[in-house]
Amino acid sequence: MNRTASRIFALLFGVLAVTLPFFAGDYPLQVARNIMMYMALAITWDMLLRSGQISFGIAGLFGIGAYAAILSVVRAGMPAWFSILFAAIFAGGVAFVIGFLILRLRAMYFSIVTLALGEIFRIIIHNLHDFTGGPEGVVIQKGVVFGGKANSLYWLVLAGLAVAVAASTWFEKSKIHFALTAIRNNEVSAKSSGIDIFRWLLLAFVVTSAIQGLLGGIFVQSYGFATPDAVFSADFTLLPLAMALLGGVYSTTGPIFGAVLLGLVSEWLKLKIPYGHLVVYGIIIVVVILFMPQGLRQLVRRTPHGADGRSA
Amino acid sequence: MKRGMFALAVLALFVGSAYAQGTIKIGGIWTLADITGKQGSAAAQLAVDEINAAGGVLGKKLELIVVDDEGKADKAAAAVEKLATVDKVDVFVGGMASGAELGKIPAFKKYNKVVMATGAAGSATVEKALGPSPESDFYFHLHPWDYNQGASYAEGWNAIQQKYPNIQIKKIFLAYEEGAFGKSSWDATKVLFGGDKRYTIDGASFKSALLGGGDYTAVLEAAKAFKPDLFIWAGYDADALPLLEQSKAMKFSPGIYLGAPPGWPIDFGASKLSPNVMLYGMWSTAMNNNNPSSAKFFKNYVAKYKEEPATYFAPLAYSAVYILADGIKAAGTTETTALVKALEATKYASPLGETITFKPSNIIKHQGITRQKILQWQNGEQQVIWPFEAATAAPVYPFPAWK
Repeated sequence: MNRTASRIFALLFGVLAVTLPFFAGDYPLQVARNIMMYMALAITWDMLLRSGQISFGIAGLFGIGAYAAILSVVRAGMPAWFSILFAAIFAGGVAFVIGFLILRLRAMYFSIVTLALGEIFRIIIHNLHDFTGGPEGVVIQKGVVFGGKANSLYWLVLAGLAVAVAASTWFEKSKIHFALTAIRNNEVSAKSSGIDIFRWLLLAFVVTSAIQGLLGGIFVQSYGFATPDAVFSADFTLLPLAMALLGGVYSTTGPIFGAVLLGLVSEWLKLKIPYGHLVVYGIIIVVVILFMPQGLRQLVRRTPHGADGRSA
Repeated sequence: MKRGMFALAVLALFVGSAYAQGTIKIGGIWTLADITGKQGSAAAQLAVDEINAAGGVLGKKLELIVVDDEGKADKAAAAVEKLATVDKVDVFVGGMASGAELGKIPAFKKYNKVVMATGAAGSATVEKALGPSPESDFYFHLHPWDYNQGASYAEGWNAIQQKYPNIQIKKIFLAYEEGAFGKSSWDATKVLFGGDKRYTIDGASFKSALLGGGDYTAVLEAAKAFKPDLFIWAGYDADALPLLEQSKAMKFSPGIYLGAPPGWPIDFGASKLSPNVMLYGMWSTAMNNNNPSSAKFFKNYVAKYKEEPATYFAPLAYSAVYILADGIKAAGTTETTALVKALEATKYASPLGETITFKPSNIIKHQGITRQKILQWQNGEQQVIWPFEAATAAPVYPFPAWK
């Protein structure tokens, strides 16, 4: 796909996304909200992956953001809008602090620690019962934001997605791209080229974590509750990961493709095979990842010379 | 040719519309990968088939449209939206996990159609999110809230100790799974059993095998050291056999060994570990002997699905559809205000062994069942011990020491 075609496609996709509430019913909007939520998480996971760091901590930071948002409303009376921003700042702040501790780790050591952090966050929330509601969770008694209006909630999630896409594009188009790619390819040569590895990793970790926290805030404001089981669910780690792998990693468009495809297939299968659709869904993910390890984007961008079209 | 096609299209529209007018649509939402949802939705379909075979409701057939909520809030919300806007259902039925129910509530409130809820016991979140009357009047909660369940257990054990003086309970230990279900059970146990200092209460949490746990050594060590008269575990079906295996290995045999999962493994009764284990529940096959409604439900369920219902969520969902059908008959419509009024007069003799009516609970106006039962596994079957009016056997006490 050449650059002009890509731009036209992106423009059409953007226009369709913004105008969807004008011609779609509440059900497609709800499905779109679910897909966009996972899409945004998939993009943030990919943004950090571009440095070579594989994080399994998405659910942990999403959950931290969710609880920051709901507790700021329930305990401190913060308005809904501010609570979502606060969720992003809080998750980003937490990532900044723990980043100093864990960004010295590489490969599976980093992955395992991020996985463990998510579990630690969940256990902390569990045990601060009087403040967080413990395992039973917290409810916003005045209800969900925008009075539950489908159009407004859709645009709210779209705004969260737009933040993720904008940040990802910034990563792709700025010198951050070269720094992260150099770190991924060879840290020693990156360092010898004058790249401050820790600084760039910390930037990527904090930005992606803040967006994951922001999305957690949007989630609780959309449904009016948070429980540890709901917001620290492994789904918020595993589905974005599968979506990014399916669409193709190291880009913004790959996770978008993957999320649209997996999201629609999941919903379609659920309606067509009510009993057993999860088995079929799981098989599809396994088969696609086995036979197309570089994702769908590879098919779209493959050239006659065999280049795989990955970002450098 | 074009005219013919046009006429056919108009005819198709007319026929479609006429068919729609002849159907009352019920939107069913359950977690279908779970036995409670699988058998609950199957039992609801059985009730629909029976009602249709008997002539339907208001001269119309009932149609049940089932959507899986996958136990997740966002999927549950999408299920409500699909049923309300695409299928245009008249009423809703179903539910089990509180987390998924919380995802549905904003959409339920938006559409304000009658909901007959078969699950979601978490009062701290679900009942609070529903809010008081009149905003939650569309919502009929059949399943007891967690505090209802706790109160009925306290009442049941008091009654059992009075009737069977050889059973004396002073110390109670609760092993609870670390999630919302277990924690709410622990909170209710502390308040209802420990409140008047009549009982000494202790407890500890464990990670359920369903959620990746399965090692109960620490919690069983704590329980064994406490020497309880009544040992209760609140977890899931996946914990039932491993807990007993580890209890046997540790030679932990309290006076009463009781499990309180929402459903039991299908073949639990055939296990050598099952005899004399007590449980909380709402229904058992033994009730077929003294409850004609239960016997009819059981016979028809087995005939249709060639398997036995293994969870009380099956007769509960079956009852939910009958209550809705009776309400629609009485109201003459599915319009919410009239149907709510008709349902408030419900008196349904259910397969669960009690006549269901709706009364206010702590927050909402329409609470159905408030009592659970105390049962015991005897000879591979669950026998009802309490309430005594539904009892099918006397308790075997104490729980025998492991050989």
